[in-house]
Amino acid sequence: MTNLTDEERSAILDMFNRLLEDYHDEPRLRQVMKTDEGFCPDLWLKMGELGITGLLIEPEYGGIGAGPLELELLMEQAGSFLLCSPFLASAIVAASLIGQSSEESVKQRLLPDIAAGKVIASVAMTGDRGLWTEGDVKVSATAGDSSTVLDGVASYVLHGCHADVLLVLAKFEGELALFEVSPAAAGVARKSLSVNDPTLRLSRIEFSNAMAKRVPGVGLAEVKNMMDLTCIGMAAECAGAARRIFDITIEYISERHQFGRPIGGFQAMKHMAADLLVEVESAVSVARNAAQTLTNTPEEADAAVALASFYAADAFFEVAAQAIQMHGGIAFTMEHPAHLFWRRARTNLQLFGSSDSHRESYLVALERAA
Amino acid sequence: MNLSAEKKALQTEVGDWLEQHWSPELRRDKPAWFKKVLEAGYAVPTWSTKWFGRELALESGKIIEQEFAKVGAPGSAQDRKHLGAITVYHSGSESLKEELLYKMLTGGATCLLYSEPGAGSDLAGIRTKAELAGGEYIINGQKIWTSAATVASYGMLLARTDWDAPKHKGITFFILPMKQKGIDIRPIHQINGDATFNEVFMTDAKLPVEYVVGELNAGWKVLQEALAHERLVMSQGLTEKKAKKSSDSAQELIAMARRNGRLDDKVLRQELAQTIAYRKVHRLNMARAKRNDDKQSKASLLAIAKLAMSRVQHSEGALRAKILGASGLLDGPDHVDAKESHYYSASGYVNSIGGGTDQIQRNIIAERILGLPREIEVDRNIPFKDVEIGGDRN
Repeated sequence: MTNLTDEERSAILDMFNRLLEDYHDEPRLRQVMKTDEGFCPDLWLKMGELGITGLLIEPEYGGIGAGPLELELLMEQAGSFLLCSPFLASAIVAASLIGQSSEESVKQRLLPDIAAGKVIASVAMTGDRGLWTEGDVKVSATAGDSSTVLDGVASYVLHGCHADVLLVLAKFEGELALFEVSPAAAGVARKSLSVNDPTLRLSRIEFSNAMAKRVPGVGLAEVKNMMDLTCIGMAAECAGAARRIFDITIEYISERHQFGRPIGGFQAMKHMAADLLVEVESAVSVARNAAQTLTNTPEEADAAVALASFYAADAFFEVAAQAIQMHGGIAFTMEHPAHLFWRRARTNLQLFGSSDSHRESYLVALERAA
Repeated sequence: MNLSAEKKALQTEVGDWLEQHWSPELRRDKPAWFKKVLEAGYAVPTWSTKWFGRELALESGKIIEQEFAKVGAPGSAQDRKHLGAITVYHSGSESLKEELLYKMLTGGATCLLYSEPGAGSDLAGIRTKAELAGGEYIINGQKIWTSAATVASYGMLLARTDWDAPKHKGITFFILPMKQKGIDIRPIHQINGDATFNEVFMTDAKLPVEYVVGELNAGWKVLQEALAHERLVMSQGLTEKKAKKSSDSAQELIAMARRNGRLDDKVLRQELAQTIAYRKVHRLNMARAKRNDDKQSKASLLAIAKLAMSRVQHSEGALRAKILGASGLLDGPDHVDAKESHYYSASGYVNSIGGGTDQIQRNIIAERILGLPREIEVDRNIPFKDVEIGGDRN
């Protein structure tokens, strides 16, 4: 992976920030989250033009070939705007897996369109338990006379119902393998799941005798690489979102008056705020550390990624939950944005593995390092 | 300029000098050795040449310190560690520097005489009295939480000199000679078993009129400067020596859980991982503060460090006890794990109370970092003699 210069990096960050301000402020977010598609087409188009949807894709396939450091920084920004889009699903999860394929023609066919934002790709990878582990892959592939077919169920598929390119992790001859299916193919039944977080789009997909093409060269190791990037992206999103709802809260308690003074002058509030600042800063530290470790000393990345995954998600939830409490009644209304952060925080405690499972992985990594 | 060549030259210079002059038996005559170090310009290298320094950069000072550390020689880096001398150098008058710096830098250690039983979190509420009589100050009062009081030659003393002024405006910062008969030092028996702190009783103790640091009744300002230096000292070096590396501490806790047959307990594993994470996260925050050139972000990261460290220490103490279960009830030299768990659990309060409680730190974070309104202080603008005091204090 190529590394961008500091200038290029801050240029992309600035542009992305401006895009989000222009196309994804709170009123826009509220419009977008009501749509079936769950993203703003104008913003998506612009992200494609700027190369953001091609962030991790190598330049020879139309991307900008950035790495974990840039991903982390962009996702902090995405988090602070509660970005509602298939960015993670398509540009991170799917692009990472396809990019690791040993088959040149697959990469040439799929990656340029993903990089340009012309298609949305998604990966079906976990079953009804939603564990995001190898054991929870509940689709199996069987080689038939003329082609391979998929059977089974995948759930919690991000933007699965509107994905143009559908990839499926399946058990094949006892190993983990990646397949591409046409979303419209016979034997593929996609169902949109009803979810609590309005910025989230999840699907459940049933496969029965569905024709699929193997994406060669993607197995357990490649899936792990993808999960490292995805978890860093998720942690960064948590860090950025935590910072934003914290700032909103501090602004509010500085202005809201009761008993003749700003409620932020009461120690009950100040002490909560100080404790939350610890979480806000720590979330940023763990997310950036994971990106740096994966870049500089990938052999030590397991612990760093696991740490970022649970710490940032827990921190985000703590900050978002206390933000509602500190606001009081105003944040108990749908009109106020605090609940959107809180819902996303509850999403991120589960998506791509629970905090508890990441905490366990962290300890396992430390035991291995002993 | 080739910095690394300059660095090498300094290294060689100091190394050669130490080889010529240092031997471990010199430790027996500390003042003589400190005098030699001072004269060679290695005691306070970043200070001005007028006051025993060489006007070197901080980095060069650290090189000298490293060379001294290699051979185990004391006396270097006093410009980073000797709080008394640092305070006199930065806040004292020329005549006070003339009078005290040499004495302090040649083995005259200092202790802090700030807190009082009635003035802890509210330090400006001190009631130790300094009165001018017969050409000297007579000191009466009681100080507390003074470490190294028995070995110190000088105390950095906060005392009240104007009782009609509001509380912050009647305080003067003094240097008090500790070796005199008006001073009685009693150790405090702490809940962790240590006795690192003392009470200091001053009964008609005396100090020369010249031993005022800064202006009369401007002690609060001098104190802020001294505290800033103290924080710097704490954040460089001193704490580094004490702080465990997060990796060591993690493996120590994992080993303890294994040794006690608890490493396969799923619930305990969660708590173990979380506790280890707290220390690691604190370390990552500090590393980020160090790299950060954005002032605001750096201040934020440094301000939360105390709270984060309290969480580290209290949670490690609690985890140790949890790993041990009922055997954590035991104590004494035959039960090392239990003994340590008690020590760690009790010692957490050194961080969460000492140097200003975590609650005061939360106020500071809220006001100075987050810009929330200041606490209302009912005693701020009234003469100190009219300030109400609770309890049975006089």
